[in-house]
Amino acid sequence: MSEFVEVYPVRVLAEGDWIGAAEACRLCRIELEVVMELADLGLLSPRGDAPLDWQVPAGALPRLALAGRLIQDLGVNVSGAVLAIELLERQRSLQRQIELLQRLTQD
Amino acid sequence: MFSERAGSLMEYRDYYKILGVARTATAEEIKKSYRRLARKYHPDVSKEKDAESKFKELQEAYEVLKDPEKRAAYDQLGSEWKSGQQFRPPPDWASGFEFSGGAGARGAGGGHAFDEQGFSEFFSQLFGGHSPFGGAGRRQSAGGRDHHARIDVELEEVFGGGTRTLELKRPEVKADGSVELRTHTVRVTLPAGVTDGQLIRLAGQGEAAPGGGRAGDLYLEVHVRPHRLYQLDGRNVTLTLPVAPWEAALGASVTVPTLGGAVEMQIPAGAQSGQKLRLRGRGLPGQPPGDAYVQLKVVLPPADSPEARTLYESMRTQLAGFDPRADLRR
Repeated sequence: MSEFVEVYPVRVLAEGDWIGAAEACRLCRIELEVVMELADLGLLSPRGDAPLDWQVPAGALPRLALAGRLIQDLGVNVSGAVLAIELLERQRSLQRQIELLQRLTQD
Repeated sequence: MFSERAGSLMEYRDYYKILGVARTATAEEIKKSYRRLARKYHPDVSKEKDAESKFKELQEAYEVLKDPEKRAAYDQLGSEWKSGQQFRPPPDWASGFEFSGGAGARGAGGGHAFDEQGFSEFFSQLFGGHSPFGGAGRRQSAGGRDHHARIDVELEEVFGGGTRTLELKRPEVKADGSVELRTHTVRVTLPAGVTDGQLIRLAGQGEAAPGGGRAGDLYLEVHVRPHRLYQLDGRNVTLTLPVAPWEAALGASVTVPTLGGAVEMQIPAGAQSGQKLRLRGRGLPGQPPGDAYVQLKVVLPPADSPEARTLYESMRTQLAGFDPRADLRR
C-alpha cells in the first residue's frame, strides 16, 4: 500500500544554526548530562549559561548523535565515546589522504 | 484486539542464534555477547559487509533477550523453531504476563529513546510498539516519535540540489488494532550545498501521534557517495588532474572539469606531481562556498616508438645534471 506525500518544508541543519539543548538531546537521543560531559571534554562548544538554556551548533549534531549511538549501542562511557569519535575522525581524514595518494600512483 | 493479529504468518527469528548464545545463557552472557558483536558490526565503526542490517538484527535480538519479561514470553514459543521458518503467533500470545511499563519504562531506564525502525515483522508483531510489550497505551497523549533515515546521494545532487523520492516503511495501526507496514513515499528537495553528515529535517513527517497530538519529525542524514573523479572534504572537493611532463615543466593552460562545469586553469611552470592548486569557490555552494583543489599528477608518455625513445635519450644527455635521487644521498 502506498501513499504519496509531497513535501515542501525542508530544513537543513547547517553551520550557523543553533539548536536548543533540549531539542538537540531529543534529536540525537542523548541525555543532557551526557551533553554536559561531552562539552566538558571539548567535543562541542555550546553557548549560553545554564545547560538547560544551552544552544549547540547544528554542525555538532552528527558528532552528538554518534556519541549517543556509541554510548547506547556499545556501552562505552562518555570519555570512551569522545576518544572513539576523535579516532574515527582521524581515521577518515587519513583514509581521504590515502585515497588521494592512490589516485596519484594509479594508472 | 491482539488475537486478530495472531493470524498473520511471518518468519521466525532465532534470537539466541543471532547473539551466538545458548538458550540457557545468563543475562551477563547475553550482554557480553551483544557487546562483542555490536563492536564488530556497529555501522559507525565497522567495515564489515552488511554491517548495518547485521547490527539491526543484533539490536532486535538483544532488545528481547535482555528483558526478562520479553525473554520469558519468547521462550514460551518453544525451542523447535528455526530462523526463517514460517511462524504464526499463538492466539493467546503474551497473555498471563505482567508488564513493567513498556516503551515508557524503556526510555526512562536506558536513557535513550527506543527505535524499532528496521526491525523484523516478527519483532514488530510480538514485541513492537503496539504489542502488549510496547506500552503504546502509555503514549496516547504524547506526540509521535521522530523517525531517522539515512539517504545516499550523488555528489552532483548535493552540488546542484535536486529532488529525491524516498520510500520509507512505517508501521501503522489499523482500526482493528493490527499493525501494517505502509510505504510512506516522501519527495524531498535537497537544497544545493548540503554536505556529508548533515541533517535535513522534515517537520511532521515522523510517526503520527496516536492520540492526535503533534506528529514527530523525519530526520534524514545525508551520506554522499564516493565519486569517480572528486573527493569530498566538507564543502571542498579535490580532483586529481593528469598532466604531461611538459605541461608541468613549462606551464600550460588546461581545461579542468569542476562540479559547476569545465574551467580553464593555468598550471605554473615548474609544477610537480602531487602539487595542489586551488580554484576558489568552485566546491560545494554554501556560506562560504567550498573550494575546488586540483592535485596534479604528472603522467609520463610511454617510450613505445623510435621518436619517443629518441626524445627520452635526448633528455638523458641534455639534462644530465638532473638527479632525482639527490635527496637520498644527503
